[in-house]
Amino acid sequence: MQNYDVIIIGGGAVGSAVARELTRWRLSVAVLEKESDVCTQTSGRNTGMLHAGFLYKPGSLKAQCAVEGNAEFDQVARELGVPFKRTGKLIVGFTEEDKARLEYFIERGRINGVPGMELIDRKRMDEIDPSAGGNFAIHCPSSGILDPFIYTIALAENAVKNGAKYHLYTEVTGVDRLDDGRHVLHTSQGDFSCRWVVNSAGLNSAKVSAMLGIPGYVIQPVKGEYFVLDKKAGAFAKIPVYPAPTAKFTFDTHATPTVDGNVLVGPNSFNVEDGEDYSVRQVGMDGLQESGARMFKHMKRDYYIRTFAGARPKRIDPATGEVQDFLIECRDDVPGVVNLVGIESPGLTSALPIARRVVNMIREREELAPNPDFDPIRRGITRFHEASREEQAKLISENPDYGEIVCRCETITRAEIIAAIHNPLGVCTVNGIKVRTRASMGRCQGGYCETRITAMIREELKKAVTDVRLTNGDSYMFTGYVKGGEQA
Amino acid sequence: MKRTFTCIVCPNGCEIEAEYEGTEVLTVTGNLCPKGRTYVTQELVDPRRTIATSVRVTGGTLPLVSVRLTNAIPKDRIFDVMREINGRTLTAPTHIGDIVIKNILGLDSDVIVTKNIQKV
Amino acid sequence: MTHKQAIIVGGGPAGLAAALRLKEKGVNDILILEREKLLGGILRQCIHDGFGLTRFGESLSGPEYAQRFIDRVLDAGIECITDCTVLDITPDKVVTAASREHGLMQLQADVVLLTMGCRERTRGALATPGTRPAGVYTAGVAQNYINLQNIMVGREVVILGSGDIGLIMARRMTLEGAHVKGVYEVQPYPSGLPRNIEQCLNDYHIPLHLSHTVVDIRGRERLTSVVVAQCDERFRPIPGTEEEIPCDTLILSVGLIPENELSLAAGVELDARTRGAFVDEHCQTMVPGIFAAGNVLHVHDLVDFVSLEAEALADSAAEYLLQGSLPACPLEVKAGNNVGHVIPQRISGTRDFTLSLRVRQPLVNVSVVVRQNGREVLRKKMRKALPAEMIQLPVKAAKLTDDADMEVCVE
Repeated sequence: MQNYDVIIIGGGAVGSAVARELTRWRLSVAVLEKESDVCTQTSGRNTGMLHAGFLYKPGSLKAQCAVEGNAEFDQVARELGVPFKRTGKLIVGFTEEDKARLEYFIERGRINGVPGMELIDRKRMDEIDPSAGGNFAIHCPSSGILDPFIYTIALAENAVKNGAKYHLYTEVTGVDRLDDGRHVLHTSQGDFSCRWVVNSAGLNSAKVSAMLGIPGYVIQPVKGEYFVLDKKAGAFAKIPVYPAPTAKFTFDTHATPTVDGNVLVGPNSFNVEDGEDYSVRQVGMDGLQESGARMFKHMKRDYYIRTFAGARPKRIDPATGEVQDFLIECRDDVPGVVNLVGIESPGLTSALPIARRVVNMIREREELAPNPDFDPIRRGITRFHEASREEQAKLISENPDYGEIVCRCETITRAEIIAAIHNPLGVCTVNGIKVRTRASMGRCQGGYCETRITAMIREELKKAVTDVRLTNGDSYMFTGYVKGGEQA
Repeated sequence: MKRTFTCIVCPNGCEIEAEYEGTEVLTVTGNLCPKGRTYVTQELVDPRRTIATSVRVTGGTLPLVSVRLTNAIPKDRIFDVMREINGRTLTAPTHIGDIVIKNILGLDSDVIVTKNIQKV
Repeated sequence: MTHKQAIIVGGGPAGLAAALRLKEKGVNDILILEREKLLGGILRQCIHDGFGLTRFGESLSGPEYAQRFIDRVLDAGIECITDCTVLDITPDKVVTAASREHGLMQLQADVVLLTMGCRERTRGALATPGTRPAGVYTAGVAQNYINLQNIMVGREVVILGSGDIGLIMARRMTLEGAHVKGVYEVQPYPSGLPRNIEQCLNDYHIPLHLSHTVVDIRGRERLTSVVVAQCDERFRPIPGTEEEIPCDTLILSVGLIPENELSLAAGVELDARTRGAFVDEHCQTMVPGIFAAGNVLHVHDLVDFVSLEAEALADSAAEYLLQGSLPACPLEVKAGNNVGHVIPQRISGTRDFTLSLRVRQPLVNVSVVVRQNGREVLRKKMRKALPAEMIQLPVKAAKLTDDADMEVCVE
């Protein structure tokens, strides 16, 4: 049985932020992730928005954490090598009713401590982004866009660098509490024991909470579908454009440029029973085309390169169905457990502020010594296409693998793919390589590079053809050889 | 009897209306060239096809070399021929035109290499 | 900066044919840049036969067809850099490329020949609903795995789209032991050639379902099934006609798109219909000295025509290099009734040229009619005209005037 001081259940952005923040202290830390990678669920299936914090009820954890996370993100992005742009955001309106609601949110933003929000007219909107729909808008300068895959991966990699251990494909199936207060976690990969358990299981957080002895929470998965548009559309999109919030204070479909120059259109929003069903529906796509065009004037079929869906784990009041705040708790009647339930949007923005609250809860209950070797810096893979021509020439001369372009749409080189294959978390799926490098995220969607990437995975990791996986579980890519006999 | 044939002799892919008695072709219409009539006759008597597949190669820059038949074989023998080819392995280098199997299954057709593969 | 008379981007069938013809015409300073380790382009994985009937009068496999050109290119001493990806082309013809061996190269060319070929349309572009399991491949990707890498992608197969590569892969996978359950085509007619329907599907009893599409993809890890449905004339699924088909593999053969990202960087203007460059009768794009031919210009049905078009391009490029200019092409060629697109889109009216077109839908007993100012220049009767087949017609200068736009109709 493997023993740790702290085990975190769930390696999404929040779980990985908790792991990273815990490694500032002298603790042995492990993360148990049931999927093949740290960003295959909610953390990787969202808009990649650094929220400002004006939407949330004043005084709520959502408001506090979003504002705190937003303010520090320039430094976080620098430390962790996360692609990030503080683009600002437009929340656009069409009607007088919209205008009243926008004014309400400017006031709410002011109370929450969101800087610089103002109502602007169409003329100002045209200066900021002529492709935005709407007649007037809130301009919120502190909002930004980030790469949610890389942010989650960076938190995890930095945690690993500072001593945390990641166990992928490890699903917790049951928990026992021993007489000495330790917990034994039964998993799909054997038993683990620890003094502290942090539940950051996202969509499964209510289920895990119950396993840990805190039943009664209800998670309502709210699913959203998206389109990813080609960079040709991205050339028009300067700033995230959101519609005025609905009467229920949620956002409908928005159009957001990504840090890489694509455009995301979505999400719609509907309740589902199974939050891990990421299928997209025709009716959903049809709706997005229509509502997306209201936000982004260049929304058209020619620009579609991909669709995806994600689900937000909303904690609801079982009696009223009302959506509740983040739950961050450490209860005296259930010692050794920090419980995070209902961490949904703005969870990405709030990941580190939530993590600090978790650490503080543990520190309030036991004395922790600082880890003198903690290094907050994580360096990502050097990206060829972001380098100047001079730097590119230098990269190739130092490592010829930089001279071999594997993904032609995104200009990703063999050197980057190899670095990704040997990633610190030991992720070895095709999608794992994709989210780390952007290879096959372009308009041909891997038509050119996927055959090369799978060959490199087999070669670098000495894998049999039948062991190559696309993503989670038994997502085998190949059924065997065409012609048998001795294989080279 | 009347039937429509799609001629596969060339990319024109003529739709040929044929009248025939048993294996005797009475009339054909729709073919752009005389090969169409020959094709229909052949289809009635003994339909034949060529196939292309691949063979394992060891010690080469690719794990497979492409091969094809030099002459069409009876359509109902295609999978027999595939089985025969599947058992073979070549050693690099290979050259276009190399004969892998001469007169395969006595069907008057050779299996030939269609790709040059260098030795590693 | 290194200077070349002609830089050819892409060493597939178009690039190879263009290089040889340029050389024959006396252009000696030629460089072919090819991103693969070997020349030949997509033909390397097209191991079926049927190539070269027009060109060589015999039925060759793709690799054999390519090798005939490769051998001649190497014999002619034409410089080729393989394993080298072009990153950028500027309107003034500076080509930037990266390779392991040569590092980052910047080259100045007098002419640039765009022969990059095309790519496949993907599931993402179709926005097909459902999950995203393993086991969904475009036909060309499956062909690469099966024919080049000795890797079998699946056993129980459904094919969406009746493009030629999909049909070829239906037969290919059947020969290798897979069970191809059916081909589903959203249009009421096949998009591949009739002979491929016959010899790739009918011969192997693989059903072709026209006016059908895939409306759902199921399976969280590996594909477990697809749901197909009949479509109405506007391609919308008809409720109540859904049928779930268990399978572990979905092959997409839903169209090819000319690969024009570099062309756009070079300032080349594209035609929304072909998704390739606007060109004149010299295969010259609207950027002087930048030419395009083959599948990068418009998707061809047969490689033989790609080679021919590339040779015509090379004739013009050689003239441009050696004479210093080409006749102006002020006259527009318009796609009229029933015509999907035409190549070229501009002509001089003073020279012979080859007109390429595709019809929008299958037609029988029609005539292709070419007019200038309402005056008939050319009429060709056709017993049938299919969207799957490219129609090519030589147009003689003697029949043309140099003062009126041209319209091409199928009537």
